[in-house]
Amino acid sequence: MKNNNVIILLMVFLMMAIFNAQSVFAAKLEKVIIGHPAALSGKYAKAGEQAVAGIQAAVDWVNSVHGGIAVDGKKVPLDYKYYDCESRKESVTSLLERLITSDKVHFTFAPYSSGLTLAGAPIAEKYGMVYMDHGGASDKIFRQGFEYVVQTIGPGSRYHAGTLEMIKKIDPTTNPHPKKIALAYEDSEFARSVMDGAEEKAKELGFDIVFKRTYPKGVTDLTPLLSDLKAAAPDVVIGGGHFQDGQLLNKQMADLGINTRLLSLIAAATLPAFGEALGEFAEGVMGPSHWEYGVTFSKEGAAKEGLTWIGPSQDEYVKLFKKAVGSDTLPDYHAAEASAAVLALVLAVEKVNSVDPDVVRDALGELKFMSFYGNWDIDKTGKQVGHAMVDVQWQKGERKIVWPESAKTADVVYPKPDFK
Amino acid sequence: MIFEQLSGNLLQGVILGGVYGMATMGLSLIFGVLKVVNVGHGAFIMVGAYVALILFQTLGIAPPLAVPVALILGMALGMLFYYTAIKKLLKGPELASLLATFSIGVILEEVCKQLFTSEARGYHWGLDKLDLGFTVLPYSKLIAFGGSILVGLLLYLWFHKTRAGMAMRSVVEDDEGAGVCGINVDWEYALSFSIGIGLTVVSGVLLTMFIPVGINPYMGGSYTLKAFVIAVLGGLASPYGAFFGGLVFGLIENGSYTLFAQIPGLEPFAMTRFFSFVMLLVILLIRPTGLLRTK
Repeated sequence: MKNNNVIILLMVFLMMAIFNAQSVFAAKLEKVIIGHPAALSGKYAKAGEQAVAGIQAAVDWVNSVHGGIAVDGKKVPLDYKYYDCESRKESVTSLLERLITSDKVHFTFAPYSSGLTLAGAPIAEKYGMVYMDHGGASDKIFRQGFEYVVQTIGPGSRYHAGTLEMIKKIDPTTNPHPKKIALAYEDSEFARSVMDGAEEKAKELGFDIVFKRTYPKGVTDLTPLLSDLKAAAPDVVIGGGHFQDGQLLNKQMADLGINTRLLSLIAAATLPAFGEALGEFAEGVMGPSHWEYGVTFSKEGAAKEGLTWIGPSQDEYVKLFKKAVGSDTLPDYHAAEASAAVLALVLAVEKVNSVDPDVVRDALGELKFMSFYGNWDIDKTGKQVGHAMVDVQWQKGERKIVWPESAKTADVVYPKPDFK
Repeated sequence: MIFEQLSGNLLQGVILGGVYGMATMGLSLIFGVLKVVNVGHGAFIMVGAYVALILFQTLGIAPPLAVPVALILGMALGMLFYYTAIKKLLKGPELASLLATFSIGVILEEVCKQLFTSEARGYHWGLDKLDLGFTVLPYSKLIAFGGSILVGLLLYLWFHKTRAGMAMRSVVEDDEGAGVCGINVDWEYALSFSIGIGLTVVSGVLLTMFIPVGINPYMGGSYTLKAFVIAVLGGLASPYGAFFGGLVFGLIENGSYTLFAQIPGLEPFAMTRFFSFVMLLVILLIRPTGLLRTK
């Protein structure tokens, strides 16, 4: 009898222990945390600052408007933890380890740029953590067999598809027909991916690639390369890599009097500082962009396409962004794509009611939605295939969306005015 | 066509090399007198670039007129960092001053980031250009080149024709002997560091006349690497050697591009760097003290 009482008592304690353990486990998810080794200083500081503010704006919207993330039948706040990786690969890997093992984040975000995104991906894979790529456009990222990388920025290979189609469409009969294309770009993962894509598309459309040369990172003078390019007499120049080199390329093309029908620069030409730095030399210069203030994505548009809508409207987003940066700065596409990555994650978590990385990764694979940033859809490798780009052009000191026709805020100036 | 390109590139290389040389003179001066390797060198070039940018954008001051402002600011910064950090570390291990100058560079970058944001900025002076047929030279580049030669010349005259300059040279030769002769060695050290930083900040102004875009807090890194190559090429402790080292570096960089571009399958720009370092090794093997270093 005495033994039976002891057994009953033990069973009661055991049941209580199990019950308590479950309560403790359930209580653990008081918030969902995303971790981010952000490029807040160093080479990519500008884009990194935009991305951090973009994530903060999206987190603000999730918590204050959306009411948090719905998991396990209740809404919990979304928390954002980030450290400065100084635009250095070695810092990215160590900070990701710290975020995952010490800060116990639920999901990770990649830093800006393809190179830094690639550097962090093996760490996320090692721990089986979803790794949201908001600023790494290189197609190479998705040829490595990574399972947890999910892209929001469009792949580099598609940056100039619209630009080249535009030339083909608006300039089909000019005599001589623009045939010759020159590619002059930074020797970086991102730029290589963009230019290989442009080359492929150009050949498909019947253009000739008459010049394809790289320049090293941190270049301070492009005169030799541009003298070489001038000799090829191209109709169209597509080039650049990031910010400083893009400005340098434009300035030294103007210095050497290299005039073309179209000049399109990746990254640099889409930032406000470009026009300020180049002055009249920026006139007519174009650049592909993932998002620009003025694009018209809306809840109604999403309904028409039969897509789920999430997030703020464009104007609401701009307000949230300005609140996050604490100034009157407008978001650029680096901010918008980071914000859209947060919204994708929220939708996926809510869809599967879980923060389990494998389950959420599967849900992201099935996800199709629209936000202020535009459409979002990924393929099996995690590469973004739903988002379309726009082309912007500097016209009288302002950036205008000139392509595609459905999104344009101004007609394209073509051919581009000559440098004076 | 190739000859035309080569001539154009060599001329552009000489002009750029002159400015590079000027940008290295401060580094060589500081090493020559204090035996301190200023790894924060590029950050001071960046400060000069911001001086030119801000004066042009806010007050409309033409970049050449920013040179005196840059010199005064640079010398003041030099004095400040000498008395707060460098002086105490001169007798310590070499690594201490190396880390100190690295830290100063990082501090300057972050202060500039807070003041001016990390945006890559630029200015548009709008001067005309000289079309030589085989190449085009903007007048701003020619002014930058002329300014570099002038600054180098003034430094030479100061060193050789003034008592203060000769006092500094005597400290380079033998600091103990100079002290015995009544020269205030500590002041000479402070002055050398200050002039070295002043020259570097001035070179930042001149570099923006060559490349007035891409000005950002982290732009100095590329120049630091180039400056070290040029300084070693010219003789690490010789400011004039640095100037000629710059000319040689500019010629090698720009000239070799045209030659490598003729070889199919090569990326000429990548090869110019390779070639620059090979040339550096060859010159050092033949003349280990650099081009103009004298014992």
